[in-house]
Amino acid sequence: MEAMSYIIAAVPGVPSNDAALKTANAAIGAGFAYGLAAIGPGIGIGYVVGKAIEAMARQPEAAGMVRTTMFLGIAFTEALALIGFVVFILLGL
Amino acid sequence: MFTVTVHTTGAGELVVRLPQQRVTAEAGTEDKGPSPIAPELKELAWGAGSFIVLFVLMRVVLFPRVKNGMQARYGKIRDDHESADAMRAAARGEVAAYEQELAGVRAEAAQRIQAVRDIIEAERAIAIGVANERISASRADANAVNEAAKAAAAPHIKEAVADVSGRAAELATGRKPDAAMVNSVVTSLIGAGQ
Amino acid sequence: MLGLTFPPINELIRWRDIFTSFNKVGLIAVLAALIGIAIFLIAGRKDPLKAPTGVRNLAETGVEFIEDQIVMQTMGKDGLPWTPFLLSLFIFIYLCNLPGIIPIFQMPATARMAIPLFLALVVWVVYNAVGLKHNGFKYITAMAWPTSVPIGMRPLVGVIELLSNIVLRPFSLAVRLFANMLAGHMLLITFAFLSNAMFTAHTKQFFLRPMGVLPLFMLVFLTAFEVLVGFLQAYIFTILTAVFINSARHIEH
Repeated sequence: MEAMSYIIAAVPGVPSNDAALKTANAAIGAGFAYGLAAIGPGIGIGYVVGKAIEAMARQPEAAGMVRTTMFLGIAFTEALALIGFVVFILLGL
Repeated sequence: MFTVTVHTTGAGELVVRLPQQRVTAEAGTEDKGPSPIAPELKELAWGAGSFIVLFVLMRVVLFPRVKNGMQARYGKIRDDHESADAMRAAARGEVAAYEQELAGVRAEAAQRIQAVRDIIEAERAIAIGVANERISASRADANAVNEAAKAAAAPHIKEAVADVSGRAAELATGRKPDAAMVNSVVTSLIGAGQ
Repeated sequence: MLGLTFPPINELIRWRDIFTSFNKVGLIAVLAALIGIAIFLIAGRKDPLKAPTGVRNLAETGVEFIEDQIVMQTMGKDGLPWTPFLLSLFIFIYLCNLPGIIPIFQMPATARMAIPLFLALVVWVVYNAVGLKHNGFKYITAMAWPTSVPIGMRPLVGVIELLSNIVLRPFSLAVRLFANMLAGHMLLITFAFLSNAMFTAHTKQFFLRPMGVLPLFMLVFLTAFEVLVGFLQAYIFTILTAVFINSARHIEH
Protein backbone atom coordinates (compact mmCIF):
# COMPACT_ATOMS: atom_id res chain seq x y z
CA MET A 1 0.00 0.00 0.00
CA GLU A 2 2.70 2.37 0.93
CA ALA A 3 4.52 1.54 -2.25
CA MET A 4 1.48 2.66 -4.20
CA SER A 5 1.40 5.94 -2.39
CA TYR A 6 5.05 6.46 -3.33
CA ILE A 7 4.21 5.71 -6.92
CA ILE A 8 1.43 8.27 -6.79
CA ALA A 9 3.78 10.73 -5.18
CA ALA A 10 6.22 10.15 -8.03
CA VAL A 11 3.67 11.28 -10.63
CA PRO A 12 4.76 14.69 -11.91
CA GLY A 13 2.58 17.49 -10.71
CA VAL A 14 1.64 15.88 -7.41
CA PRO A 15 3.04 17.81 -4.49
CA SER A 16 5.22 15.31 -2.67
CA ASN A 17 5.18 16.68 0.82
CA ASP A 18 4.13 14.74 3.91
CA ALA A 19 0.57 16.01 3.96
CA ALA A 20 -0.04 14.90 0.40
CA LEU A 21 1.50 11.53 1.19
CA LYS A 22 -0.82 11.17 4.15
CA THR A 23 -3.83 12.02 2.02
CA ALA A 24 -2.79 9.48 -0.55
CA ASN A 25 -2.32 6.84 2.14
CA ALA A 26 -5.72 7.62 3.61
CA ALA A 27 -7.40 7.38 0.21
CA ILE A 28 -5.81 4.03 -0.50
CA GLY A 29 -6.61 2.80 3.00
CA ALA A 30 -10.22 3.87 2.57
CA GLY A 31 -10.48 1.99 -0.71
CA PHE A 32 -9.07 -1.16 0.83
CA ALA A 33 -11.27 -0.80 3.91
CA TYR A 34 -14.43 -0.82 1.91
CA GLY A 35 -13.24 -3.48 -0.51
CA LEU A 36 -12.30 -5.85 2.30
CA ALA A 37 -15.45 -5.09 4.26
CA ALA A 38 -17.57 -6.04 1.27
CA ILE A 39 -16.14 -9.55 0.82
CA GLY A 40 -17.62 -11.24 3.87
CA PRO A 41 -21.11 -9.77 3.66
CA GLY A 42 -21.13 -10.48 -0.08
CA ILE A 43 -20.57 -14.17 0.53
CA GLY A 44 -22.92 -14.10 3.49
CA ILE A 45 -25.81 -12.51 1.61
CA GLY A 46 -25.25 -14.98 -1.20
CA TYR A 47 -25.65 -17.84 1.26
CA VAL A 48 -28.71 -16.33 2.90
CA VAL A 49 -30.55 -15.68 -0.36
CA GLY A 50 -29.51 -19.01 -1.89
CA LYS A 51 -30.75 -20.99 1.10
CA ALA A 52 -33.93 -18.93 1.23
CA ILE A 53 -34.67 -19.69 -2.43
CA GLU A 54 -33.99 -23.36 -1.78
CA ALA A 55 -36.44 -23.31 1.11
CA MET A 56 -39.06 -21.47 -0.96
CA ALA A 57 -38.68 -23.95 -3.81
CA ARG A 58 -39.16 -26.87 -1.42
CA GLN A 59 -42.07 -25.36 0.43
CA PRO A 60 -43.76 -22.67 -1.64
CA GLU A 61 -46.54 -22.35 0.95
CA ALA A 62 -44.00 -21.09 3.52
CA ALA A 63 -42.60 -18.49 1.09
CA GLY A 64 -43.92 -15.46 3.02
CA MET A 65 -42.28 -16.48 6.27
CA VAL A 66 -39.05 -17.43 4.53
CA ARG A 67 -38.95 -14.09 2.73
CA THR A 68 -39.36 -12.11 5.94
CA THR A 69 -36.63 -14.08 7.65
CA MET A 70 -34.43 -13.71 4.58
CA PHE A 71 -34.71 -9.93 4.70
CA LEU A 72 -33.86 -9.96 8.39
CA GLY A 73 -30.80 -12.11 7.70
CA ILE A 74 -29.74 -9.84 4.85
CA ALA A 75 -30.16 -6.79 7.08
CA PHE A 76 -27.93 -8.24 9.79
CA THR A 77 -25.31 -9.48 7.34
CA GLU A 78 -25.27 -6.25 5.39
CA ALA A 79 -24.57 -4.17 8.52
CA LEU A 80 -20.91 -5.24 8.39
CA ALA A 81 -20.45 -3.99 4.85
CA LEU A 82 -22.11 -0.72 5.77
CA ILE A 83 -19.81 -0.22 8.73
CA GLY A 84 -17.00 -0.68 6.23
CA PHE A 85 -18.61 2.03 4.10
CA VAL A 86 -18.75 4.39 7.06
CA VAL A 87 -15.10 3.70 7.80
CA PHE A 88 -14.40 4.47 4.14
CA ILE A 89 -15.99 7.87 4.53
CA LEU A 90 -14.22 8.52 7.83
CA LEU A 91 -10.84 7.67 6.35
CA GLY A 92 -11.50 9.79 3.30
CA LEU A 93 -12.20 12.90 5.38
CA MET B 1 -17.56 21.38 -9.42
CA PHE B 2 -18.27 18.93 -12.20
CA THR B 3 -15.79 20.11 -14.80
CA VAL B 4 -13.07 17.99 -16.22
CA THR B 5 -9.72 19.66 -16.22
CA VAL B 6 -8.09 18.17 -19.27
CA HIS B 7 -6.18 20.30 -21.72
CA THR B 8 -4.57 19.46 -25.00
CA THR B 9 -1.22 20.92 -25.86
CA GLY B 10 -1.19 20.02 -29.53
CA ALA B 11 -0.21 16.71 -31.15
CA GLY B 12 -2.93 14.90 -29.12
CA GLU B 13 -0.95 15.17 -25.91
CA LEU B 14 -2.97 15.76 -22.79
CA VAL B 15 -2.07 17.68 -19.69
CA VAL B 16 -4.16 16.90 -16.70
CA ARG B 17 -4.77 19.41 -14.02
CA LEU B 18 -4.79 17.42 -10.83
CA PRO B 19 -7.35 17.38 -8.07
CA GLN B 20 -4.93 18.43 -5.38
CA GLN B 21 -4.49 21.81 -6.96
CA ARG B 22 -8.20 22.37 -6.96
CA VAL B 23 -8.59 21.21 -3.40
CA THR B 24 -5.88 23.54 -2.18
CA ALA B 25 -7.49 26.31 -4.14
CA GLU B 26 -10.84 25.62 -2.52
CA ALA B 27 -9.42 25.09 0.95
CA GLY B 28 -9.27 28.82 1.34
CA THR B 29 -13.01 29.26 0.84
CA GLU B 30 -15.00 29.06 4.05
CA ASP B 31 -17.88 26.66 3.13
CA LYS B 32 -16.50 23.15 2.82
CA GLY B 33 -19.85 21.56 3.55
CA PRO B 34 -20.94 19.55 6.54
CA SER B 35 -19.29 16.39 7.83
CA PRO B 36 -20.81 13.43 5.98
CA ILE B 37 -21.28 11.42 9.16
CA ALA B 38 -21.85 13.70 12.13
CA PRO B 39 -25.54 14.55 12.57
CA GLU B 40 -26.45 18.18 12.32
CA LEU B 41 -28.58 19.69 15.02
CA LYS B 42 -30.90 21.60 12.66
CA GLU B 43 -31.65 18.53 10.57
CA LEU B 44 -32.14 16.48 13.74
CA ALA B 45 -34.60 19.04 15.05
CA TRP B 46 -36.60 19.30 11.82
CA GLY B 47 -36.65 15.54 11.31
CA ALA B 48 -37.62 14.84 14.91
CA GLY B 49 -40.33 17.48 14.84
CA SER B 50 -41.82 16.15 11.60
CA PHE B 51 -41.77 12.56 12.77
CA ILE B 52 -43.31 13.36 16.14
CA VAL B 53 -46.10 15.37 14.51
CA LEU B 54 -46.74 12.56 12.03
CA PHE B 55 -46.73 9.90 14.73
CA VAL B 56 -48.98 11.77 17.14
CA LEU B 57 -51.52 12.63 14.45
CA MET B 58 -51.39 9.07 13.12
CA ARG B 59 -51.88 7.61 16.58
CA VAL B 60 -54.65 9.95 17.68
CA VAL B 61 -56.67 10.77 14.59
CA LEU B 62 -55.60 9.42 11.24
CA PHE B 63 -55.02 5.73 11.84
CA PRO B 64 -58.14 5.06 13.95
CA ARG B 65 -60.31 6.75 11.37
CA VAL B 66 -58.97 4.74 8.43
CA LYS B 67 -58.89 1.54 10.46
CA ASN B 68 -62.47 2.01 11.71
CA GLY B 69 -63.56 2.66 8.15
CA MET B 70 -61.87 -0.53 7.00
CA GLN B 71 -63.40 -2.54 9.82
CA ALA B 72 -66.82 -1.06 9.12
CA ARG B 73 -66.51 -2.04 5.48
CA TYR B 74 -65.28 -5.52 6.30
CA GLY B 75 -68.14 -5.88 8.78
CA LYS B 76 -70.60 -4.73 6.15
CA ILE B 77 -69.12 -7.13 3.59
CA ARG B 78 -69.37 -9.96 6.11
CA ASP B 79 -72.98 -9.04 6.92
CA ASP B 80 -73.78 -8.85 3.24
CA HIS B 81 -72.25 -12.28 2.79
CA GLU B 82 -74.28 -13.65 5.66
CA SER B 83 -77.52 -12.16 4.40
CA ALA B 84 -76.73 -13.46 0.92
CA ASP B 85 -76.14 -16.90 2.40
CA ALA B 86 -79.41 -16.73 4.31
CA MET B 87 -81.24 -15.59 1.18
CA ARG B 88 -79.69 -18.39 -0.79
CA ALA B 89 -80.74 -20.93 1.83
CA ALA B 90 -84.30 -19.57 1.81
CA ALA B 91 -84.41 -19.72 -1.96
CA ARG B 92 -83.15 -23.30 -1.85
CA GLY B 93 -85.97 -24.18 0.61
CA GLU B 94 -88.54 -22.62 -1.67
CA VAL B 95 -87.22 -24.52 -4.64
CA ALA B 96 -87.36 -27.76 -2.66
CA ALA B 97 -90.96 -27.10 -1.57
CA TYR B 98 -91.96 -26.29 -5.12
CA GLU B 99 -90.32 -29.45 -6.39
CA GLN B 100 -92.13 -31.51 -3.76
CA GLU B 101 -95.44 -30.00 -4.80
CA LEU B 102 -94.61 -30.63 -8.41
CA ALA B 103 -93.84 -34.27 -7.65
CA GLY B 104 -97.21 -34.64 -5.86
CA VAL B 105 -99.06 -33.14 -8.80
CA ARG B 106 -97.19 -35.36 -11.18
CA ALA B 107 -98.01 -38.48 -9.19
CA GLU B 108 -101.70 -37.52 -9.13
CA ALA B 109 -101.71 -36.91 -12.84
CA ALA B 110 -100.09 -40.28 -13.43
CA GLN B 111 -102.73 -41.90 -11.22
CA ARG B 112 -105.52 -40.33 -13.17
CA ILE B 113 -104.01 -41.28 -16.46
CA GLN B 114 -103.65 -44.83 -15.17
CA ALA B 115 -107.30 -44.94 -14.14
CA VAL B 116 -108.46 -43.66 -17.49
CA ARG B 117 -106.21 -46.13 -19.20
CA ASP B 118 -107.63 -48.98 -17.17
CA ILE B 119 -111.17 -47.99 -18.12
CA ILE B 120 -110.24 -47.78 -21.77
CA GLU B 121 -108.51 -51.13 -21.50
CA ALA B 122 -111.59 -52.78 -20.05
CA GLU B 123 -113.85 -51.23 -22.67
CA ARG B 124 -111.56 -52.37 -25.38
CA ALA B 125 -111.51 -55.90 -24.00
CA ILE B 126 -115.30 -55.91 -24.01
CA ALA B 127 -115.46 -54.54 -27.52
CA ILE B 128 -112.93 -57.09 -28.71
CA GLY B 129 -114.92 -59.88 -27.08
CA VAL B 130 -118.10 -58.71 -28.82
CA ALA B 131 -116.33 -58.40 -32.12
CA ASN B 132 -114.75 -61.84 -31.74
CA GLU B 133 -118.12 -63.38 -30.97
CA ARG B 134 -119.63 -61.74 -34.00
CA ILE B 135 -116.75 -62.89 -36.18
CA SER B 136 -116.93 -66.45 -34.90
CA ALA B 137 -120.69 -66.55 -35.41
CA SER B 138 -120.45 -65.35 -38.98
CA ARG B 139 -117.56 -67.75 -39.56
CA ALA B 140 -119.74 -70.63 -38.27
CA ASP B 141 -122.56 -69.54 -40.55
CA ALA B 142 -120.26 -69.40 -43.54
CA ASN B 143 -118.86 -72.80 -42.62
CA ALA B 144 -122.34 -74.24 -42.41
CA VAL B 145 -123.25 -72.84 -45.84
CA ASN B 146 -120.00 -74.16 -47.22
CA GLU B 147 -120.57 -77.60 -45.77
CA ALA B 148 -124.09 -77.69 -47.10
CA ALA B 149 -122.92 -76.70 -50.56
CA LYS B 150 -120.22 -79.36 -50.47
CA ALA B 151 -122.64 -81.99 -49.32
CA ALA B 152 -125.05 -80.97 -52.07
CA ALA B 153 -122.32 -81.09 -54.74
CA ALA B 154 -120.74 -84.41 -53.70
CA PRO B 155 -123.33 -86.87 -55.32
CA HIS B 156 -123.16 -84.89 -58.59
CA ILE B 157 -119.38 -85.08 -58.63
CA LYS B 158 -119.44 -88.77 -57.81
CA GLU B 159 -121.99 -89.46 -60.54
CA ALA B 160 -120.04 -87.43 -63.11
CA VAL B 161 -116.74 -89.08 -62.20
CA ALA B 162 -118.36 -92.55 -62.31
CA ASP B 163 -119.86 -91.72 -65.66
CA VAL B 164 -116.57 -90.42 -67.08
CA SER B 165 -114.51 -93.30 -65.71
CA GLY B 166 -117.11 -95.90 -66.90
CA ARG B 167 -116.98 -94.38 -70.34
CA ALA B 168 -113.19 -94.34 -70.30
CA ALA B 169 -113.04 -97.98 -69.26
CA GLU B 170 -115.56 -98.89 -71.98
CA LEU B 171 -113.48 -97.17 -74.64
CA ALA B 172 -110.30 -98.81 -73.37
CA THR B 173 -111.60 -102.32 -73.01
CA GLY B 174 -114.54 -102.32 -75.47
CA ARG B 175 -116.82 -103.62 -72.75
CA LYS B 176 -119.18 -101.78 -70.47
CA PRO B 177 -118.01 -102.21 -66.87
CA ASP B 178 -120.28 -102.93 -64.04
CA ALA B 179 -121.85 -99.70 -62.79
CA ALA B 180 -121.99 -100.74 -59.17
CA MET B 181 -118.30 -101.65 -59.14
CA VAL B 182 -117.33 -98.35 -60.80
CA ASN B 183 -119.39 -96.49 -58.25
CA SER B 184 -117.76 -98.26 -55.30
CA VAL B 185 -114.26 -97.64 -56.72
CA VAL B 186 -114.97 -93.92 -57.32
CA THR B 187 -116.46 -93.55 -53.85
CA SER B 188 -113.41 -95.20 -52.24
CA LEU B 189 -110.99 -93.03 -54.29
CA ILE B 190 -112.79 -89.80 -53.51
CA GLY B 191 -112.95 -90.83 -49.91
CA ALA B 192 -109.16 -91.50 -50.00
CA GLY B 193 -108.55 -88.18 -51.80
CA GLN B 194 -110.47 -86.23 -49.27
CA MET C 1 -5.53 9.80 -19.75
CA LEU C 2 -8.64 11.50 -18.48
CA GLY C 3 -8.43 13.45 -15.27
CA LEU C 4 -11.58 13.40 -13.21
CA THR C 5 -12.00 15.62 -10.21
CA PHE C 6 -14.47 13.80 -8.07
CA PRO C 7 -15.73 16.29 -5.49
CA PRO C 8 -15.25 15.46 -1.81
CA ILE C 9 -18.24 13.91 -0.09
CA ASN C 10 -18.74 17.04 2.01
CA GLU C 11 -19.61 18.99 -1.10
CA LEU C 12 -22.13 16.42 -2.32
CA ILE C 13 -24.32 16.86 0.72
CA ARG C 14 -23.91 20.59 1.20
CA TRP C 15 -27.17 22.46 0.87
CA ARG C 16 -27.76 26.13 1.36
CA ASP C 17 -30.15 27.12 4.11
CA ILE C 18 -33.53 28.09 2.68
CA PHE C 19 -33.98 30.24 5.73
CA THR C 20 -32.15 30.15 9.03
CA SER C 21 -31.36 26.56 10.02
CA PHE C 22 -33.81 25.10 7.50
CA ASN C 23 -32.15 23.33 4.59
CA LYS C 24 -33.18 20.77 1.99
CA VAL C 25 -33.01 17.85 4.40
CA GLY C 26 -35.32 19.63 6.81
CA LEU C 27 -37.63 20.51 3.92
CA ILE C 28 -37.78 16.87 2.80
CA ALA C 29 -38.51 15.69 6.34
CA VAL C 30 -41.30 18.23 6.75
CA LEU C 31 -42.73 17.36 3.33
CA ALA C 32 -42.60 13.64 4.14
CA ALA C 33 -44.61 14.19 7.31
CA LEU C 34 -47.05 16.50 5.53
CA ILE C 35 -47.61 14.11 2.63
CA GLY C 36 -48.16 11.21 5.04
CA ILE C 37 -50.66 13.26 7.01
CA ALA C 38 -52.38 14.48 3.83
CA ILE C 39 -52.79 10.95 2.45
CA PHE C 40 -54.42 9.71 5.62
CA LEU C 41 -56.52 12.84 6.03
CA ILE C 42 -57.96 12.53 2.54
CA ALA C 43 -58.37 8.79 2.99
CA GLY C 44 -60.22 9.32 6.26
CA ARG C 45 -62.64 11.78 4.63
CA LYS C 46 -63.89 9.32 2.03
CA ASP C 47 -66.90 7.12 2.57
CA PRO C 48 -65.45 3.96 4.11
CA LEU C 49 -68.32 1.70 3.06
CA LYS C 50 -67.67 2.02 -0.66
CA ALA C 51 -64.92 0.13 -2.41
CA PRO C 52 -61.67 2.06 -1.75
CA THR C 53 -60.25 4.01 -4.69
CA GLY C 54 -57.36 6.39 -5.17
CA VAL C 55 -55.89 7.85 -2.00
CA ARG C 56 -57.98 5.73 0.32
CA ASN C 57 -56.81 2.62 -1.51
CA LEU C 58 -53.20 3.76 -1.03
CA ALA C 59 -53.68 4.34 2.69
CA GLU C 60 -55.44 1.02 3.17
CA THR C 61 -52.75 -0.80 1.22
CA GLY C 62 -50.18 0.73 3.57
CA VAL C 63 -52.13 -0.29 6.66
CA GLU C 64 -52.62 -3.83 5.38
CA PHE C 65 -48.97 -4.10 4.37
CA ILE C 66 -47.87 -3.18 7.89
CA GLU C 67 -50.41 -5.49 9.47
CA ASP C 68 -49.94 -8.54 7.28
CA GLN C 69 -46.30 -8.35 6.27
CA ILE C 70 -44.70 -6.87 9.36
CA VAL C 71 -46.83 -7.19 12.49
CA MET C 72 -48.37 -10.60 11.84
CA GLN C 73 -45.08 -12.04 10.60
CA THR C 74 -43.03 -10.97 13.60
CA MET C 75 -45.25 -10.17 16.58
CA GLY C 76 -48.47 -12.07 15.96
CA LYS C 77 -51.96 -10.93 16.78
CA ASP C 78 -51.16 -9.21 20.08
CA GLY C 79 -48.75 -6.87 18.29
CA LEU C 80 -51.54 -5.20 16.30
CA PRO C 81 -51.73 -2.14 18.65
CA TRP C 82 -48.23 -1.30 17.43
CA THR C 83 -49.48 -0.76 13.87
CA PRO C 84 -49.78 3.08 14.07
CA PHE C 85 -46.22 3.43 15.34
CA LEU C 86 -44.78 1.09 12.72
CA LEU C 87 -46.95 2.66 10.03
CA SER C 88 -45.71 6.17 10.77
CA LEU C 89 -42.13 4.90 10.90
CA PHE C 90 -42.52 3.20 7.54
CA ILE C 91 -44.24 6.13 5.85
CA PHE C 92 -41.77 8.66 7.22
CA ILE C 93 -38.68 6.67 6.22
CA TYR C 94 -40.07 5.75 2.81
CA LEU C 95 -41.02 9.32 2.00
CA CYS C 96 -37.62 10.52 3.22
CA ASN C 97 -35.88 7.93 1.02
CA LEU C 98 -37.91 8.63 -2.08
CA PRO C 99 -36.57 12.15 -2.87
CA GLY C 100 -33.22 10.49 -3.62
CA ILE C 101 -34.59 9.66 -7.07
CA ILE C 102 -37.08 12.48 -7.58
CA PRO C 103 -35.69 15.19 -9.82
CA ILE C 104 -35.18 18.61 -8.22
CA PHE C 105 -34.79 17.01 -4.79
CA GLN C 106 -32.18 14.37 -5.72
CA MET C 107 -31.31 13.82 -2.10
CA PRO C 108 -32.64 11.28 0.37
CA ALA C 109 -33.16 12.96 3.72
CA THR C 110 -32.01 9.74 5.39
CA ALA C 111 -28.60 10.08 3.72
CA ARG C 112 -27.76 12.47 6.54
CA MET C 113 -27.12 10.92 9.93
CA ALA C 114 -29.63 13.10 11.81
CA ILE C 115 -32.93 11.43 10.90
CA PRO C 116 -31.77 7.79 11.09
CA LEU C 117 -30.08 8.53 14.40
CA PHE C 118 -33.19 10.11 15.82
CA LEU C 119 -35.44 7.27 14.63
CA ALA C 120 -33.03 4.64 15.97
CA LEU C 121 -32.98 6.39 19.34
CA VAL C 122 -36.78 6.47 19.38
CA VAL C 123 -36.88 2.75 18.61
CA TRP C 124 -34.24 2.08 21.27
CA VAL C 125 -36.23 3.95 23.92
CA VAL C 126 -39.45 2.23 22.84
CA TYR C 127 -38.22 -1.35 22.93
CA ASN C 128 -36.33 -0.96 26.18
CA ALA C 129 -39.34 0.71 27.77
CA VAL C 130 -41.55 -2.14 26.53
CA GLY C 131 -39.13 -4.70 27.94
CA LEU C 132 -39.00 -3.00 31.34
CA LYS C 133 -42.76 -2.55 31.43
CA HIS C 134 -43.55 -6.15 30.51
CA ASN C 135 -40.86 -7.93 32.48
CA GLY C 136 -39.75 -5.46 35.12
CA PHE C 137 -36.19 -5.71 36.34
CA LYS C 138 -36.07 -9.30 35.07
CA TYR C 139 -35.62 -7.78 31.62
CA ILE C 140 -32.06 -6.73 32.46
CA THR C 141 -31.14 -9.76 34.55
CA ALA C 142 -32.38 -12.17 31.91
CA MET C 143 -30.27 -10.31 29.37
CA ALA C 144 -27.11 -10.26 31.52
CA TRP C 145 -27.47 -13.83 32.84
CA PRO C 146 -29.29 -15.88 30.14
CA THR C 147 -30.50 -19.14 31.67
CA SER C 148 -31.04 -20.86 28.34
CA VAL C 149 -27.31 -21.34 27.64
CA PRO C 150 -24.82 -23.59 29.50
CA ILE C 151 -23.52 -22.03 32.68
CA GLY C 152 -19.96 -21.64 31.44
CA MET C 153 -21.11 -19.54 28.52
CA ARG C 154 -23.40 -17.27 30.50
CA PRO C 155 -21.00 -14.40 31.30
CA LEU C 156 -19.85 -14.21 27.71
CA VAL C 157 -23.31 -14.45 26.17
CA GLY C 158 -24.61 -12.03 28.79
CA VAL C 159 -22.05 -9.40 27.88
CA ILE C 160 -22.76 -9.91 24.18
CA GLU C 161 -26.49 -9.66 24.78
CA LEU C 162 -26.17 -6.50 26.84
CA LEU C 163 -23.90 -4.89 24.28
CA SER C 164 -26.18 -5.95 21.46
CA ASN C 165 -29.29 -4.57 23.14
CA ILE C 166 -27.87 -1.35 24.41
CA VAL C 167 -25.31 -0.32 21.80
CA LEU C 168 -25.26 -2.45 18.69
CA ARG C 169 -28.94 -2.62 17.81
CA PRO C 170 -29.63 1.12 17.65
CA PHE C 171 -26.22 1.75 16.12
CA SER C 172 -26.66 -0.80 13.35
CA LEU C 173 -30.25 0.34 12.81
CA ALA C 174 -29.16 3.93 12.28
CA VAL C 175 -26.04 3.12 10.31
CA ARG C 176 -27.83 0.64 8.05
CA LEU C 177 -30.37 3.18 6.91
CA PHE C 178 -27.94 6.08 6.70
CA ALA C 179 -25.14 4.21 4.92
CA ASN C 180 -27.48 2.54 2.44
CA MET C 181 -29.03 5.80 1.40
CA LEU C 182 -25.75 7.72 1.32
CA ALA C 183 -24.13 4.94 -0.72
CA GLY C 184 -27.04 4.98 -3.16
CA HIS C 185 -26.83 8.75 -3.42
CA MET C 186 -23.09 8.62 -4.09
CA LEU C 187 -23.54 5.86 -6.64
CA LEU C 188 -26.02 7.96 -8.58
CA ILE C 189 -23.75 10.99 -8.35
CA THR C 190 -20.75 8.97 -9.54
CA PHE C 191 -22.46 7.84 -12.71
CA ALA C 192 -24.13 11.18 -13.38
CA PHE C 193 -20.76 12.85 -12.93
CA LEU C 194 -18.96 10.35 -15.14
CA SER C 195 -21.53 10.69 -17.89
CA ASN C 196 -21.40 14.48 -17.73
CA ALA C 197 -17.61 14.46 -17.78
CA MET C 198 -17.51 12.24 -20.84
CA PHE C 199 -20.05 14.31 -22.75
CA THR C 200 -18.20 17.55 -22.10
CA ALA C 201 -14.62 16.25 -22.36
CA HIS C 202 -12.18 18.44 -24.32
CA THR C 203 -10.48 15.69 -26.20
CA LYS C 204 -9.50 14.77 -29.71
CA GLN C 205 -10.44 11.14 -29.15
CA PHE C 206 -13.74 11.33 -30.98
CA PHE C 207 -15.17 8.07 -29.60
CA LEU C 208 -14.96 9.23 -26.01
CA ARG C 209 -17.87 11.63 -26.07
CA PRO C 210 -20.58 9.30 -27.43
CA MET C 211 -19.42 6.68 -24.98
CA GLY C 212 -20.85 8.92 -22.28
CA VAL C 213 -24.21 7.21 -22.85
CA LEU C 214 -22.88 4.05 -21.18
CA PRO C 215 -22.68 5.60 -17.71
CA LEU C 216 -26.00 7.23 -18.48
CA PHE C 217 -27.61 3.80 -19.02
CA MET C 218 -26.04 2.65 -15.79
CA LEU C 219 -27.49 5.72 -14.12
CA VAL C 220 -30.99 4.86 -15.33
CA PHE C 221 -30.60 1.29 -14.13
CA LEU C 222 -29.27 2.42 -10.76
CA THR C 223 -32.13 4.87 -10.35
CA ALA C 224 -34.55 1.97 -10.73
CA PHE C 225 -32.42 0.05 -8.25
CA GLU C 226 -32.63 2.94 -5.79
CA VAL C 227 -36.44 2.79 -5.92
CA LEU C 228 -36.15 -0.77 -4.66
CA VAL C 229 -33.51 0.11 -2.08
CA GLY C 230 -35.54 2.99 -0.71
CA PHE C 231 -38.53 0.73 -0.18
CA LEU C 232 -36.44 -2.14 1.17
CA GLN C 233 -34.64 0.01 3.73
CA ALA C 234 -37.92 1.43 5.04
CA TYR C 235 -39.29 -2.12 5.24
CA ILE C 236 -36.20 -3.47 6.99
CA PHE C 237 -36.10 -0.64 9.50
CA THR C 238 -39.76 -1.20 10.34
CA ILE C 239 -39.54 -4.98 10.53
CA LEU C 240 -36.43 -4.79 12.72
CA THR C 241 -38.28 -2.43 15.04
CA ALA C 242 -41.09 -4.97 15.26
CA VAL C 243 -38.61 -7.77 15.94
CA PHE C 244 -36.86 -5.78 18.67
CA ILE C 245 -40.11 -4.87 20.37
CA ASN C 246 -41.26 -8.48 20.21
CA SER C 247 -37.99 -9.83 21.61
CA ALA C 248 -38.17 -7.29 24.44
CA ARG C 249 -41.66 -8.47 25.34
CA HIS C 250 -40.82 -12.18 25.36
CA ILE C 251 -37.41 -12.48 26.98
CA GLU C 252 -37.60 -16.26 27.41
CA HIS C 253 -36.24 -17.06 23.98
